Amino acid sequence: MAIMISIPAGIMANQEATQNLTENYNSTISNMQDEINKTATLIECRTSSGRGMPQGMPPGMPFGPGQEEVFVNETVVNEIRSIGGVKDVVEFLEKSSEVTTSETISTPRGDFTISRPLYTITGVPLNSSLINNYSILPTDITSGRNLNEEDTGVVLMSSNLTDYLEVGVGDNVEIYGESFTVVGIYESTSQSIMQTRGVYMNIIEAQTITGNTGNVSRLDVYADDVSNVDGIADVIKAAYSDLYVTTYKDRLENLERMQEMYQTTLENAESTISQTQTVATQEIIIAVVATSLIVLFVMLYTVRERTKEIGILKAIGFSNWNVMSQFMLEGILISLIAGVVGIAIGSVGASTITSLLLPHVSLFPTQQREFPRQTPLNPGGTALSQSITVLPDLQTILLAFGVAVLLGAIGSLYPAWRASRTSPMEALRYE
Amino acid sequence: MSELVLETQKLDKVYKLGGRTVRALSDVNLQVKKGDFISIMGPSGSGKTTLLNMLGCLDRPTSGKVILDNVDVTKVPERKLFKIRRHKIGFIFQTFNLLPYLNALENVELPMEGTKKSGDKKKQRASELLKMVGLSEREGHRPHRLSAGEQQRVAIARALANDPTIVLADEPTGNLDTKTKYEIVRLLGTLNIDQGTTIIMVTHDSHIAARAGRMLSLYDGKLGKEKEGTHLLKKELICPYCGGEIQPDNTFCPHCGKKL
Repeated sequence: MAIMISIPAGIMANQEATQNLTENYNSTISNMQDEINKTATLIECRTSSGRGMPQGMPPGMPFGPGQEEVFVNETVVNEIRSIGGVKDVVEFLEKSSEVTTSETISTPRGDFTISRPLYTITGVPLNSSLINNYSILPTDITSGRNLNEEDTGVVLMSSNLTDYLEVGVGDNVEIYGESFTVVGIYESTSQSIMQTRGVYMNIIEAQTITGNTGNVSRLDVYADDVSNVDGIADVIKAAYSDLYVTTYKDRLENLERMQEMYQTTLENAESTISQTQTVATQEIIIAVVATSLIVLFVMLYTVRERTKEIGILKAIGFSNWNVMSQFMLEGILISLIAGVVGIAIGSVGASTITSLLLPHVSLFPTQQREFPRQTPLNPGGTALSQSITVLPDLQTILLAFGVAVLLGAIGSLYPAWRASRTSPMEALRYE
Repeated sequence: MSELVLETQKLDKVYKLGGRTVRALSDVNLQVKKGDFISIMGPSGSGKTTLLNMLGCLDRPTSGKVILDNVDVTKVPERKLFKIRRHKIGFIFQTFNLLPYLNALENVELPMEGTKKSGDKKKQRASELLKMVGLSEREGHRPHRLSAGEQQRVAIARALANDPTIVLADEPTGNLDTKTKYEIVRLLGTLNIDQGTTIIMVTHDSHIAARAGRMLSLYDGKLGKEKEGTHLLKKELICPYCGGEIQPDNTFCPHCGKKL
């Protein structure tokens, strides 16, 4: 009985987990699609590949700076701006803090200690026309205000950084040896521990304090029309081989790759689940047959043990039907009690029983589970091999009760019939 | 003139035992009138129990008729026989055969299961019967907490539950000590006289058999000559120690000399 209610619950939990993942991915992908469509005219130029952590890093290895931060001189900005069809160029300076933090993160595979920059500075040109026309600053301000034109000596911080530093709006913080006032806090987009802690400030100040006067690390080039994007990108690629240029086409390709990966993942999960269901069905059939057989043998034994009693009952006027219903009732009662016990065990131990009896539903290839990483596919950066909560629902429990009654009836049918056919005279002689 | 409640005509029963044919009953013609107290005596293997099983509809004869309340029960199909056993026959066994997990009251209620009586009515009836056999105080006791004599009293009360036409007692005193034996047979005699219960009692004990109104003997499956019983028809008292006749004003038994 425990098996009977745990396994369906386990399957259901697995299906639910897959469904949640599907929904999660669908919304992520559609968000990205929207973003790509909105920024069709944007050509991103970075001085480094911008991929963050190198691929395939073994677990336990500290998060280094990832890769060297490279900068180019901002004279490039004006050169690019002069290319035909370019509407605007927004320059950024992104620089990690010199201070690093050591953090322990828990995953189902164990704890990892990582070391990463305390924060990343993003220097932004505080020009009102750029701020108004392009999304270059965070928009989700939770307290204080956003950065304004020509702000100096002030910073906008992500909520995870202010939480970490335990500062609020109006407090002063020291960045690269200089004091800045926090004017606003923006919501970091995810709850993940790996979310970058960001500081936004005037690009001129960022260049000064980090010793990068005249340097930039990223250029957002806006074309005046979508049709010009490819031409501009080609010109930039030809002229500046050290820039990594991506257009919306590249980003779309990226997205398609992600979708393919997701499809494969989902197919994997589905095939595992259907395999699981086959095993589960077999197990349930075995459990049902075993239960009926147990009831059958127990009742046959009972009838044999109580032959004399049957003789007495029949001698004092019990009908065949009286005797039969008596034993049927007993069989049903026994399996009902067994059902209650089984449901109790099943409800408490569903997860354990499921994991023992069902093949493990792995939704992702192993090496991807080794280390939680923030990828577009896994926006939270959480481990995807999350433990699945298995809890039988009321419907399953009621069904199990029904099955218990039915099996009790089936299993005791033959013994009860035999009891009712017993000859009273012979039964009375039985000792 | 008392009416005939039970009659057997040319009753034969033949068993096949390991290729050998055993004639358990042979041409048994028995007539039982309402209010009779009959004892059937005979040695082991004489067919006493076989006869009782025929009368109690537990077994069928090879040939002949068993007419109970004007119905030939040998012609009643098996599936309807339980009604006759339930309403017309009360069984008393040598080994009492009470159900060990039921108390005295529930054991007496048992034959009323499946009848149309309500739960309260059954309880009331069972309670009355236990009072009649002198066990009012023992209603809630299970058989293992009752003495052998008390257990047999419960069994007698159970046999009377559905007010049967006839009570069949198979060696009712066989498992009892001398004192209790006479108590039980006196109870049967009292029921016979006070309630008019028709009783057929099988025994191999001639002292016990002699307490009945009519004494029959069975030998090799054949009924012997009928004798008239003595005691209970005359309503005399019995010494619980030796079974001898005593008078109501006796302080000591005139036969064995024990204090009464």
